[in-house]
Amino acid sequence: MGNYITTVAVNIAVFSLLALSLNIIIGYAGQSMMGHAAFFGIGAYTAAILTNKGISFWLALLASLIVSGALGAILGIISLRLRDDFLAITTIGINFVMVALFQNMKFFGGSLGMAVKPLTMFGKKATPMHFLIMLLILIFLVCMLIRKMNSSWFGLALASLRGDEGAAQSFGVNTNQYKILAFIIGTSIAGLTGGVYAHRMTFIFSSSFAFIVSISIISMVVVGGVGTIRGPLVGAILLGAAPELLRFADDYRMILYGGVIVLMMRFQPQGLLGENSFLMNKFNQYINPLLKRKGGEFNA
Amino acid sequence: MREIVKVEGLKMYFGGLKAIDNLDMSIYEHETLGIIGPNGAGKTTLFNTICGVYKPTGGKVIFNGQEVQGSPPYEIARKGIARTFQISKPLHDLTILDNVIAASGIHEYTGIRSFFKKSHTKEVLEKVHAILELVGLSHIADKKAREVSLGYLRRLEIARVLATDPQLIMLDEPCAGLSNYAINEITELILKLKSQGKTIVLIEHNLPITMKVCDRILVLNYGQKIAEGTPEEVQHNKKVIEAYLGEEDED
Repeated sequence: MGNYITTVAVNIAVFSLLALSLNIIIGYAGQSMMGHAAFFGIGAYTAAILTNKGISFWLALLASLIVSGALGAILGIISLRLRDDFLAITTIGINFVMVALFQNMKFFGGSLGMAVKPLTMFGKKATPMHFLIMLLILIFLVCMLIRKMNSSWFGLALASLRGDEGAAQSFGVNTNQYKILAFIIGTSIAGLTGGVYAHRMTFIFSSSFAFIVSISIISMVVVGGVGTIRGPLVGAILLGAAPELLRFADDYRMILYGGVIVLMMRFQPQGLLGENSFLMNKFNQYINPLLKRKGGEFNA
Repeated sequence: MREIVKVEGLKMYFGGLKAIDNLDMSIYEHETLGIIGPNGAGKTTLFNTICGVYKPTGGKVIFNGQEVQGSPPYEIARKGIARTFQISKPLHDLTILDNVIAASGIHEYTGIRSFFKKSHTKEVLEKVHAILELVGLSHIADKKAREVSLGYLRRLEIARVLATDPQLIMLDEPCAGLSNYAINEITELILKLKSQGKTIVLIEHNLPITMKVCDRILVLNYGQKIAEGTPEEVQHNKKVIEAYLGEEDED
């Protein structure tokens, strides 16, 4: 694979993880979250600071997961008192505050950004391919985690929380507990992704974790299909590859990007591959019966 | 008969409004108790206070000899008090089947541990299908809750209540807004539950149904108990007639 393609693929893989993890909070638990990039950043800076201090990459990754998960828990506790629009605005605020901290505190390298000690793997400097493989393994693990979640009581608790909190409590779901857990799981995966990303880039800037990045992640989930595993993956691939494919129309890229989202909201609010979307209905109508006849039902 | 719930001096004030004012009442095992009263009498507030949605301003709710007032709703539900809602609260994007399965997991929502326990096991499915059969929802088990009519949603509420294996079933106006046909079906269903020996508390505006179904009736007005007794006793109670029809003119 060419270096260029690997670089684009790594970028898409990073956003796949971010979209999958955001989907746990907004798609499965039904909570507003507009500041996912802040936790991506928290993970990135945590790992960068630790490896620069000489701590091993793997321990630093673990720390990224724990630190962003812990801060996610705090956001989860805040979310107990806020709902819908108010929670959305609060999470936007948190995103701006985190970026301001990254940008203005000497500790985080200030506006110059922060150099990250390059990762060595098997005695050599890690290549983009190493990172791509690492990220693909993480994507696989996260998909397995979500599948496991969906077949467990945990998944039903989140579905109840998303559907109706009063009803959920009437059959024994401690909705506060599950809200916090959803935030912890979603933000810790974002943090872990940030840790890998920081070492891939070897240099991080606050602008990589800005509010616009949170919006991109949300767009990927929404375009692909909220509350599914395939949705965020497809969304990340489409919207991650789009800037590359649309390079010839660089000036109009954001217009196209924005236009797609407006059209999606109008005609397919459940996402391209969400439940009951045009494509999934066609898939179930024509392709699924063929697969079924061959044995094995298609389950994405 | 064993006293399953004892309410002592229950008060629920919203600012100056005394929605429940110093109420004493008992619910006995295997009985069907009707709670009636004019609009705004405090019937639903009473439900919400017993079920933990509101923390009472004062007084006690004793369930199986244990004080439960002020506990959160999910804990009270786990103890065995199940309720339906006046305005149905289905989980719209789940199927009818999954709605009932979600309710049957009442003792499974243990936080992170619930991640490692499968929900759709054979035992759970068998139990839930039996409940759907009983309430008459089997034929639409795979439909999304948002696609079914109000009559079915009311039965879904009852199915979810049954799925929690409750000791006490509280039904908040299960017939409100339904057609006569659907009302008859719900009434039949309540009678069926009654014949199985379930303990039921029923809020209902439709007096003929209440009279038909209930063993005992409690009448509320302005948050206070104004009468209590068998349907016949309550029907002829002067205070009850006044509360519903207004006072008779002195002249």
